[in-house]
Amino acid sequence: MIEVRGLSKRYGELAALVDVSLEVGAGEMVVVLGPSGAGKSTLLRCINRLIEPSAGEVRIGGEPAPGTRAGLRRLRSQVGMIFQDHNLVPRLSVLKNVLAGRLSRMPEWMSLLQLFRAADVRIALDCLGRVELEDRAWSRADRLSGGQQQRVGIARALAQEPRAILADEPVASLDPKTARIVLSDLKRASRELGIAVLCNLHQVGYAMEFADRVIGIHAGRVVFEGSPDALDAQALAQIYPGLDGLSEADAEPDSVPAPLADLLS
Amino acid sequence: MKAAAPVFILGRAWHTRQWLQWLGVLAAACAALTWSAQDLHLSISELVKGLPWVADFVSRMVPPNWSFMQRLVRPVFETIQLAIWGTLLAILLALPLCFLAARNLTPSPLVFHATRQVFNAARGINEIIFALVFVAAVGLGPFAGVLALSIHGAGMLGKFFAEAIEEADPGPVEALRATGARPLQVIVFAVLPQALPAWIAATLYRLEVNLRAATILGMVGAGGIGFELYSSLKLFQYEDTATCVIVILVMVMTADYVSSRLRARILAR
Repeated sequence: MIEVRGLSKRYGELAALVDVSLEVGAGEMVVVLGPSGAGKSTLLRCINRLIEPSAGEVRIGGEPAPGTRAGLRRLRSQVGMIFQDHNLVPRLSVLKNVLAGRLSRMPEWMSLLQLFRAADVRIALDCLGRVELEDRAWSRADRLSGGQQQRVGIARALAQEPRAILADEPVASLDPKTARIVLSDLKRASRELGIAVLCNLHQVGYAMEFADRVIGIHAGRVVFEGSPDALDAQALAQIYPGLDGLSEADAEPDSVPAPLADLLS
Repeated sequence: MKAAAPVFILGRAWHTRQWLQWLGVLAAACAALTWSAQDLHLSISELVKGLPWVADFVSRMVPPNWSFMQRLVRPVFETIQLAIWGTLLAILLALPLCFLAARNLTPSPLVFHATRQVFNAARGINEIIFALVFVAAVGLGPFAGVLALSIHGAGMLGKFFAEAIEEADPGPVEALRATGARPLQVIVFAVLPQALPAWIAATLYRLEVNLRAATILGMVGAGGIGFELYSSLKLFQYEDTATCVIVILVMVMTADYVSSRLRARILAR
């Protein structure tokens, strides 16, 4: 569903992404692991063209990325995005935030007048139901807890009825229990609706728990690809070079959960 | 040669060089103030000599002529109407331009600087000067006052509106762009909800400022209660002047109170 071929992104001298190729199938959840600054965020943003790549090709559902602005918006409308800070509009209601996911399919004049078709509202409520927040539809978004706000972020992405979802560190600011709820919601939606999910994480433990497949990125290059079971000490050393040289006290407990810390010692 | 030991003032070490710099600044300030005071004929003895005249003026104002109130009903309403329409037209002028004057939405730096300069010019020129221009253009009367308040107010509101847009969190804007929403939709759904409280607060403040300005526009024949104030002074009807001053005070203080309460409530949300 998501096909990336030879994707590169340069900022002057700095190569943020070097010849990255990957595929994510319908209903598959692929987790991208890598240290901060490895290019994970850049990769996601090059896929929906929030960042213009320097070279390479991205196809969503077999369609190449179009050149026109209208074509670009059509591409984006088929790709949902979830952000670390959820990026909800704080003063709007939860329902309106989710309806924002349908803006690209509404007649523009109606949306500007805040008129919404019953069908769009039904889809939005349905998506809120998938993250079990339909009873909060009329609350203001900033009245919700961090975990709830992130689940509204998922509902907004689902309201796009997307072929693919890009999730950029969706649980980085959440506690472990809430993080599991958010990732389960995402995974369930991916399975049930056949959505290809590409999810950046920096917690190896969550990757092993939720990923169908893992891609490791270091310094803008793919250095690992395989099932979560294949994430052994050697693979982790490729993704996080230098980590095995650190003492246990230096290693972030978040990024290396207990069983893996054992593997590394 | 060894430098002299510094003196410590308010926890900072002061060396001879810094002392000399400060003495220089102080001397320059004193010179500028003395020069200005001479040019302005500041004089305590003149003030003391004039005090009996001030007392005489005030004594002629009491008791205020309360029956003059009925002559002020129309002008009071006109003053409020001036403030309201002046604010409304200022909003209409500022709204389309403020997006161009916000760094994060402007199409180009050139447009940004051009619009900001237009706002600065409109804001930099006093309402009374605009009123004089418009009295010459559209004739004596409140319409000239409305135009004066609109232009000056548009300069202030435009700047405030643009700054509120610049303070909007870019996260939601990026999120809505990522859904494939069109540019106007992104502005209406991600930028406006964030900027609106600050916009309303700025507008209320402008309404309050306009009411104050509208009380003196009458002095140049641009409508409002200022005309009555000015003519009573010219006719030496100081009891009437006192009534005007009291009415203006009540109006301005009420507007002040209501507007600051409303603004506090809106910004707290």
